[in-house]
Amino acid sequence: MIKREIEITNKLGLHARAAAKLSHLANTFNSDIFLIYDQDKVNAKSLLGILTMAASIGNNITIVAKGKDEEKAVNKITELFHNKFNEEN
Amino acid sequence: MIKSLVITHGKLGEELIRVSEKILEKKLDIDCMGFDWQEDGSGIINKLEAYLNKNKKHQVIIFTDMFGGSPSNICLRYINPNVEVITGINLPGMLKYLTYKNKNLSFKELVKTIKNGMIEGINIIGEYLGEKKND
Repeated sequence: MIKREIEITNKLGLHARAAAKLSHLANTFNSDIFLIYDQDKVNAKSLLGILTMAASIGNNITIVAKGKDEEKAVNKITELFHNKFNEEN
Repeated sequence: MIKSLVITHGKLGEELIRVSEKILEKKLDIDCMGFDWQEDGSGIINKLEAYLNKNKKHQVIIFTDMFGGSPSNICLRYINPNVEVITGINLPGMLKYLTYKNKNLSFKELVKTIKNGMIEGINIIGEYLGEKKND
């Protein structure tokens, strides 16, 4: 199992389009992937689950992945956060 | 195969689909009919019957905007094991449908999952945050 904490840096936080991109990416991996924010733990493969976190810029969330492709999953998801969901220059 | 149709008052359904497409960044295979305020319903009934006839080999989920409204009422007579109507569609419900329709759920399970998604999307933010703080 891999855990990695990451800060949300895009202006709009985990809003609908960002959550859609994140859940879409998470669904490409076989591993179980969860996001933990505050006391919430949600399935990263669920768009609506991600939205219920109401996580915004400056919040830290933890990515947790468990499975054969866990390392690749966490790396790719981290990359998506670092690229601000490809919605900012 | 499951097909879907949105029937609402005015252009509500068109906008719901357009916004869902924007969020998911893809063109969606959902049909839409708007109920014209001036019409007596016969036009949309004809279109609905043509749609169901065309898709009679498929299972069909019809989303309408409000239980008891004309778009919902005209659908009642067409409900059968392969045609279901979900009233009060909202954006969370639409996204739930679009993200779960290919997950090998049965028709009944999918319909229930969508309804739950619609309900989960309704919150009073002050209460919701209060609950989170009190956890």
